[in-house]
Amino acid sequence: MWLVLCSSSDPSGLWVYEGLRQMGIAPVELVLAEWLAYGSQWEHRLDTNGTHLKITLQDGRVLCSSRIRGAINRLMAPSPGIAERAAASDKEYAQAELQAFYLSWLHGLPGVVINRPSAIGLCGSWLHPSEWVLRADRAGLPTPVFRQSGHDSPEKGYRSLAPDGAAILRLITFGGEVFGGQVPETTSRACVRLAREAKTEMLGVELYLAGNGEWTFANATPCPDLSAGGKPLLESLAHILTAGGRP
Amino acid sequence: MILVCGIPSETPLRMVISRLEEMGAPFVVFNQRHFANCEMRFEVNGQEVSGELRIGERAYNLQEFVGVYPRMMDDRSLPELSNEPPDSNLRNYCRSLHETLTRWMEIAPARVINRCAPMASNSSKPYQSQLIREHGFLIPEILITTNPELVRGFRARHGRVIYKSISAVRSIVQELTDEDEERLDRIRWCPTQFQQFVEGTNLRVHTIGNEVFATAVRSEATDYRYAARQSGEPAELREVTLSDELTEQCLRLAHALGLEFAGIDLKVTPDNEVYCFEVNPCPGYSYYEANTGQEISAAVARALVSGTGSKKEEVGALAHA
Repeated sequence: MWLVLCSSSDPSGLWVYEGLRQMGIAPVELVLAEWLAYGSQWEHRLDTNGTHLKITLQDGRVLCSSRIRGAINRLMAPSPGIAERAAASDKEYAQAELQAFYLSWLHGLPGVVINRPSAIGLCGSWLHPSEWVLRADRAGLPTPVFRQSGHDSPEKGYRSLAPDGAAILRLITFGGEVFGGQVPETTSRACVRLAREAKTEMLGVELYLAGNGEWTFANATPCPDLSAGGKPLLESLAHILTAGGRP
Repeated sequence: MILVCGIPSETPLRMVISRLEEMGAPFVVFNQRHFANCEMRFEVNGQEVSGELRIGERAYNLQEFVGVYPRMMDDRSLPELSNEPPDSNLRNYCRSLHETLTRWMEIAPARVINRCAPMASNSSKPYQSQLIREHGFLIPEILITTNPELVRGFRARHGRVIYKSISAVRSIVQELTDEDEERLDRIRWCPTQFQQFVEGTNLRVHTIGNEVFATAVRSEATDYRYAARQSGEPAELREVTLSDELTEQCLRLAHALGLEFAGIDLKVTPDNEVYCFEVNPCPGYSYYEANTGQEISAAVARALVSGTGSKKEEVGALAHA
């Protein structure tokens, strides 16, 4: 079986699930973050020889690692259900425990996982724009100057680097291809290099059209809006999931 | 120039500062408690990372720093903020300054011991165990579950089982007792981590660059850090020498995790099997140095001064705890 892991408020995750089903990929199971948080039973084992996972959802479905061939992973954080019920003094601890637990079982999923979690993001590496700018420049994308000071709010540092009013293009790189828009080949190759360098199978790259006419790096995310990729992206996903999964 | 960040009276930080002084190395301390008197800005232009850190009256060009030793406490808990309302200007400035410093450290072309991203593998112990396993170490059997029956079965199979936090939030490792079994129903609310108890001798291996310091710990306690409380006797620590093979394995693991400085927790069984439990990315090494005389702080200081990799030192012959 293949899993689509996302939250109920993630239209891209739901779109991928429906798209894969319509393409005849089966069995594909939609697993919402909220379902994992409420009433599910967990068994996650590891030892020197391997990792095992068994999740029994409240509706009776059993997700067992021995049957999982791959997953589309768009979980950004555990649903706060349990942590919200914790005593005020334990809330932060409970959330840290859940985050740590999710990182472990997601890492242990067998087959093709798009994206695998990293220590700095459950659905891939969430890097700070300052680090993305360095990497994008190394990958060959034009980049703006990034500036941060102790007088800026921390949130400001995470915003897109596109100037107000600039034309924006949001691309998706996956499997060595670029989906979601037309850009010069040098730009699309640089986007693919950026994803590879970030070890992120599926990467959303936001570009803006600079005054000199060049598509310039604005931001990147391991959890992009997928619908812009349309049918070609779905076909590529289906191909990699089925070809890379266990026979 | 070396940048040391944290609370200077904190023992591990104080010891590195002392070693830097003895070496005559130029360094500056960013004392978190004096944050209100500091400013920082940086920029990334292509591959160039530049900027300025002002501490008191003195400004430092960020490109001067060849080594950085951050050992910072959670800035939200600084005593200077204890009476500040949640959204006060001072509290917000403190957060923003620390965020700026941290972001710069992630990309600074200096030797940072350690950067945040590689340290994050320790934010999930079972995740890190899977990485450790990929580098050839044995790991203990672990069960994380919400099902009390599975825990009873796990205990019946292993005899002795411990439980501890999954995350990096510090917890005292405890052995699962009959009394604990009676309240196992509580785990239905939150997945909880249980681990096979492994008999043997605890080894803490500090790696810094290519230097290795191994310490054997003899204690009857489940968690030797709390030996006096748990067993009534303090732990006994002594320096030991690792085999070349185990030394290389530890260095490879630390390097693979991207850690310049690591505290690797091993256990050597009576059958001479080596289990790895955890890699601490911010080791409180001073406890080991104080009890054995191992010069770990000096190695940290040397690594900071060298800016790039430290020299590999010959370590001894046989793995023996």
